[in-house]
Amino acid sequence: MSESLHQALDLSLFWEYRHVLLGGLAVNFYVFAAAAVLALGIGLGAALLRVNRLPVFRWLGTLHVEVFRNAPEYIMVVWVHFVLPLLLGYIIHSRLEFNPFVSSVIGLGFVYSGYFAETFRAGIEAIPIAHIEAGRSLGMPERLIFRRIVLPQVVRRMLPESVNQFISLFKATTIVSLIAVPDLMYDVTMITQQEMRPLPLYTGAALTYFAVILAASSVLRALSERWRARIYA
Amino acid sequence: MGNWQRLVWNQRDALMAGIVVTVEVCAIAFAIAVLVGLLLCLVRMYVRPLRPIVIVVIEFFRATPILVQLLWVNYVWPALFGWPDSFFAAAWVALAVQSSGYLAETFRGAIEAIPKGQREAAYSVGMSPVLVFWRIVMPQAALSSAPSIVNQFTVIVKSSTLVSVITVPDLMFQSQKIVNIWYEPIEILTATAALYIVLIFLVSAAGKHISDVLRRRYAIAAT
Repeated sequence: MSESLHQALDLSLFWEYRHVLLGGLAVNFYVFAAAAVLALGIGLGAALLRVNRLPVFRWLGTLHVEVFRNAPEYIMVVWVHFVLPLLLGYIIHSRLEFNPFVSSVIGLGFVYSGYFAETFRAGIEAIPIAHIEAGRSLGMPERLIFRRIVLPQVVRRMLPESVNQFISLFKATTIVSLIAVPDLMYDVTMITQQEMRPLPLYTGAALTYFAVILAASSVLRALSERWRARIYA
Repeated sequence: MGNWQRLVWNQRDALMAGIVVTVEVCAIAFAIAVLVGLLLCLVRMYVRPLRPIVIVVIEFFRATPILVQLLWVNYVWPALFGWPDSFFAAAWVALAVQSSGYLAETFRGAIEAIPKGQREAAYSVGMSPVLVFWRIVMPQAALSSAPSIVNQFTVIVKSSTLVSVITVPDLMFQSQKIVNIWYEPIEILTATAALYIVLIFLVSAAGKHISDVLRRRYAIAAT
């Protein structure tokens, strides 16, 4: 027990590979950033469908949210990586293959778009109808009302909620290692196979993610609270 | 349609076996997570000397991604503690570990939301602290945290897809095994994704229904 505890806490091996591992962590951040942009874009689109006047669009928006919010990230990423290129290939009559990075961004982006859609929708529905009517009575076009009156308020309202979702998205980026995107977890698995010493490596990986996520979430939470307080003051 | 029959319908026994394993892992993990989460929450709130340690433990459970947690439990715990001794045990331990951190915070929020006056009233009629917790605090906290608890169960089911990585033969594992026999992923992966989505949808719909019924019966304001 004490021997293995010593081994688990002796992180010199982990430190030895710091350059590779830092590169891996950077890949986590790239996947996160790209997937977050995609999720926000699609989420906003789905939210707008859900508040549309036409029932068909509302129904489509609800379907989107229910499918992607209830889909496990892993199966979605695997599906996008192995099935989607084949299906698209049938349509354009040629062989298609996705880079693992692209697949993981699409998979994670779509899953999280379901969550963001609900956050956006709650934000949109919380805006008093009078704001929109006031904009109309001044003769603003609908698009301008949305961009100048609705969206800025929605963004502020959804900040605290979306911080949690960004954190979950970042955590979910670890699963992209399973389709061979060279992130931190992938590097750790590879190094473990070479060194045959899983204890320090996996402990180091867990502690690294713990530190990064804890720091990021406390900073983001404090920032979003401060921004909200300033806006509503 | 022939492909669907060959790759999905004819494999239904393997898929069913996978679903059974998924349900087993999730059920065990959920039960343990509720117990451990409650324990962590109580220690954090009422056992002052242990509080800093428990806070670090809860934050560690909450802030590590589930895949990292799973591999950590699977590779490091056996050497460290001599347990878990099987992949199956490692799978539910990892799932339970992560959820217990979240549930501990859920329970704490629910307990802290109960007005202090109720506890004082109970003490003033001479109830012991244990009785106050058991009769006054816990029933209300359990009701108001019911939706979050069910939500946590859906998170467990979603995360359980990852236990296939440590070769636990769950639904995901079985479907990947079938993919690796024929190298025809379209039908089987689509069917698996659909099965998971329906399964998780049913769980969350059932949870919503249960917490609505509880709310109506006991007429307690939602928090």
